[in-house]
Amino acid sequence: MSSTPRKRPASDALVAGAVVAILVALVVAVFLTGAGNSLYPPAAATTQGRDIRGLYDIVFALAIGIFLLVEGLIVWSVIRYRRRPGDIELPAQTHGNNVAEIVWTVVPTAIVLFLFVISWQSLSRVDAISAKPDIRIHAIAGQFQWQFEYLDANGTKVATQLAPAYDTNTGAGGMAVPVGRSVQVTLDSPDVIHAFYVPRFLFKRDVVPGQTNRFEFTVEPSEAGQVFRGQCAELCGIGHRAMLLSVIALTPADYDAWLQGLIEKSNATPEPLPSGTVLNVTAEGVKFDTAALEVPAPPGITHDVDIRDGGGAVLAAKDTIDGGTSTNYSYEPMQAGTYTFFCSIHSNMTGTLTVK
Amino acid sequence: MTADSHALTTAEHTPIAGLAHDARGGISNPILGMLLFLTSEVMFFAGLFAAYFNTRAANKPWPPTEFEHILNPFSLILVATVILVASSFTCQMAIWAIRRNDRRGFIRNIGVTFVLGVIFLLMQVYDYSLLFDEGMTLGSGQFGTTYYTLTGFHGAHVFGGVIMLGVVLYRGMSGQFSARHHDAVEAASLYWHFVDIVWILLFSILYFL
Amino acid sequence: MATHALNPAASTYARGGLYEWLATTDHKKIGIMYVVNSMLFFLVGGVLALVVRTELATPGIQFLADERVYNEMFTMHATLMIFVFIIPMLAGLGNYAVPLQIGAPDMAFPRINALSFWMLPLAGILLISSFFTGGAAAAGWTSYPPLSGEGPLNSPGSGQDLWIVSLILIGTSSILGAINFLVTIFKMRAPGMTLFRMPIMVWTILVTSVLVLMATPVITSALVMLFIDRNLGGHFFDPFAGGSAVLYQNIFWFYSHPAVYVMVLPAMGVISEVLPVFSRKPLFGYRAFVFATAGIGALGFSVWAHHMFTTGAVFLPFFALLTFMIAIPTGVKMFNWVFTLFRGQLTFSTPLIFALGFLTMFLIGGINGAFSAAVPVDFALHDTYWVVAHLHYVLFGGSVFGVFAGIYYWFPKMTGRMLDEGLGKIQFVLMFVGFNLTFFPMHMLGLAGMPRRIADYAGDAGWNEWNIAATVGGFMIAASMLPFLWNVFISLRNGKVAGDDPWEGNTLEWATSSPPPPYNFDSLPEIRSERPLFDARHGQTAH
Ligand SMILES: [Cu+2]
Ligand SMILES: [Cu+2]
Repeated sequence: MSSTPRKRPASDALVAGAVVAILVALVVAVFLTGAGNSLYPPAAATTQGRDIRGLYDIVFALAIGIFLLVEGLIVWSVIRYRRRPGDIELPAQTHGNNVAEIVWTVVPTAIVLFLFVISWQSLSRVDAISAKPDIRIHAIAGQFQWQFEYLDANGTKVATQLAPAYDTNTGAGGMAVPVGRSVQVTLDSPDVIHAFYVPRFLFKRDVVPGQTNRFEFTVEPSEAGQVFRGQCAELCGIGHRAMLLSVIALTPADYDAWLQGLIEKSNATPEPLPSGTVLNVTAEGVKFDTAALEVPAPPGITHDVDIRDGGGAVLAAKDTIDGGTSTNYSYEPMQAGTYTFFCSIHSNMTGTLTVK
Repeated sequence: MTADSHALTTAEHTPIAGLAHDARGGISNPILGMLLFLTSEVMFFAGLFAAYFNTRAANKPWPPTEFEHILNPFSLILVATVILVASSFTCQMAIWAIRRNDRRGFIRNIGVTFVLGVIFLLMQVYDYSLLFDEGMTLGSGQFGTTYYTLTGFHGAHVFGGVIMLGVVLYRGMSGQFSARHHDAVEAASLYWHFVDIVWILLFSILYFL
Repeated sequence: MATHALNPAASTYARGGLYEWLATTDHKKIGIMYVVNSMLFFLVGGVLALVVRTELATPGIQFLADERVYNEMFTMHATLMIFVFIIPMLAGLGNYAVPLQIGAPDMAFPRINALSFWMLPLAGILLISSFFTGGAAAAGWTSYPPLSGEGPLNSPGSGQDLWIVSLILIGTSSILGAINFLVTIFKMRAPGMTLFRMPIMVWTILVTSVLVLMATPVITSALVMLFIDRNLGGHFFDPFAGGSAVLYQNIFWFYSHPAVYVMVLPAMGVISEVLPVFSRKPLFGYRAFVFATAGIGALGFSVWAHHMFTTGAVFLPFFALLTFMIAIPTGVKMFNWVFTLFRGQLTFSTPLIFALGFLTMFLIGGINGAFSAAVPVDFALHDTYWVVAHLHYVLFGGSVFGVFAGIYYWFPKMTGRMLDEGLGKIQFVLMFVGFNLTFFPMHMLGLAGMPRRIADYAGDAGWNEWNIAATVGGFMIAASMLPFLWNVFISLRNGKVAGDDPWEGNTLEWATSSPPPPYNFDSLPEIRSERPLFDARHGQTAH
């Protein structure tokens, strides 16, 4: 500590202080005027989502505070301590300061432990699973479509919703749930990993093949009549961005009526293909025993059926076909062997074609 | 531990000296390098073993009944194990020989180690051919996948070790090693012991656990 | 000193032909080749990023053939940037600086050093060639199975296999490089250069090398298993044959979280060299900084599952706690840097400006990472553009700005000429503004629910404005490369001659000529602190 720093003009400190003050004021103004709203998640629609939002707000407040403190120090130092032509003597050679270093180890430790405790508490509420939820839904995410099976209290399927996205014009499709009731969703995938994500729930959960994931939510009563946009959030292939879904919040009475309608519709048309079912079509020479493959599904759902060999090369393909209509495939004579045909929109719709 | 460790350098530091030899004494550069390399190898096998235990825990019964008889330790595989363990001893005897400058003993022992390594590999190939005849392949469920992957990667490491021993043997026969200068031999023997230890682990986990 | 006879010429660069570069085992030339090679792949990866940003500028699939191509673009962008740019670039700066900074004549194993380097362009070319052999890998740089497995809708074709082979090659290169660094640092330090007198750059390379040594072989094992599954009928990750898809994620992130530190610690090392030199002060809290670096490295091995909070297959509290803990040593470093500036005498040369850019943006990248450590908040943010913002604030705002600080700092040593200060500042302003314009809006996109890795989005989702901003910013970043490339070009020809020590440096590399002779030093100053040159210039009393 032999050298003493040259005395600096006081105006320097004023300028530096003013710049830091302006910086802080700017940030405060952004939030006071509401221009900072885009730095918050959308209003949470579920009880669990509101819990997460509460946690977000705390983390966010601390984040802004820490950012302003450190960034303020940087800006201050940059303006205040720039080297001047007269600075020939070295500045004080400070190698450290035990008190300061202990403070900036202990204080962050305390902040971090606090954040851990509150996020653990929040987690135990958000992740809670009840033994007897009001509603049970089994969601199946396959390349590249969602499908929702409504279950009764025993876990038996009562109806299937095949149109995962809500159609604003017809009012059809979507996964309807009653507000104010606990909904338990089980997630399964017949192919790759997907993720169930609804931004206004502030929540997502992966759909992992070979592992049934489970989560629960309750939509706030004030949200009745709302439609929430959702989509697959884990890269699942070429149709990833089209794996959309909607959640429709209904009053309990509307929901009961909606589910009744869905059950009747399911009974009227043939049972939709359960996941993993295999259709076997046998062909003699180049002639199938069935000339047409029927895909039972209500109108409004499109399919895209290909026939491929074991290596995945396409032998016959058509443009997408609408549910309820039929199409004819022409194909080159095939060698004996086993082929798969499947719908590339609903990968659990698959079958084997045996050529003898 | 090495025969040619240096005293700490004096104030007269010459940069060139540092190139040929470590400037700081203690363990020599090639041996330290080999130890670090073996650390990374441990982590590689740790990844494979982690996958093995994870798979095994999720698949019952283990081994699947159709392949149960394969895991009889008192068969050819025991002979192969004895051979590999013995080769570790002959390898160490070679090290002791070269440390006391006994070049003939060194060449004899490293030669025996080399031959034992080759025999182990041949036995593994024979064992694989028996398994293939029984219809067990990499695709035979989780058992086939893990069995061949673990033993296969070990075999590949033995193969690498045999090549290393071959080079050491060749260089030894052309008189390149002495009690003062044989870092390459020490490094190769470390690798060979490592391969042996991995096999003992593999053998006990696959066949006895 | 009898060594002069062995170093007849101060510089061999003038008469160095192409062959001399191809066959060299000199760590300085290898280091420079690392830097140049990485910079080339940075440009390629940048072009891929522009393709992605252009496609996303407005709703609709505008100019790419289909989503498969889009998926290839972001997969290869990330793969090139991580594995062929940032990791090798930092290894290259280390390769150049470490032997010089510890007073060694070269790396411990010069020929292995050359081998490590030459694997990189090979791997990079393999990766790029997959575009022309039926399509590149398209399952994301994480390549989660089953999507990265065989199957017409998953990853058919050879692109994924080439990807696996390239990554194994790069991993091997990294492991050999790490062994080389460790032996060099442990065994080849000049007399007087005790561990606690080593420059921070050397410390960060040391910790990075330990991480590489312990973590990279683990991803190699995962890649090998993926390869076996794809090509040899294995079932490791096949959930329909008793395998586990989550197993791959565990092994992958066991490597890839420490890899984040591999990608950022050496950049921290660079700015820990730059800040003291341009503040005329020692690094505040040298020892604390070293322990913090080691602490980050150690903690880095126990937080991997924070990338898997939403899988439903992770013990959440444990990994949340340890992830939060990482904030503590990181905070220590931040304060050490800031208090190095505090009460200094700052000279705003380009290296310092880039280092200040690092500080500001790494600060944001550290803070927005803490959001995801709070598990329930991560349920909202995971796999959205928030995460894209976070990782770019760390790896671009942090590492890349650190890399440019390092390039401007050591270019005079590497070439004997200064880079132009004016062009450097133009580059910084373009890059800084462009960077924040690109990546800050991604926080808003993520909060508003835009998932990453989607080729298209609905026009009424409320994401349009932020996406346009991000695309404009992306092109600004691209534009910032022009002054840089021009700067390198003209400075090599007639830049200001640097002299041995243009910045009044603290560390040993400034004690030799620019560029240094083969085997680096004719003589070394006495080493009695972590700033031997400062001591030589100002005397011990200046402490
Ligand atoms: Cu999906
Ligand atoms: Cu991580």
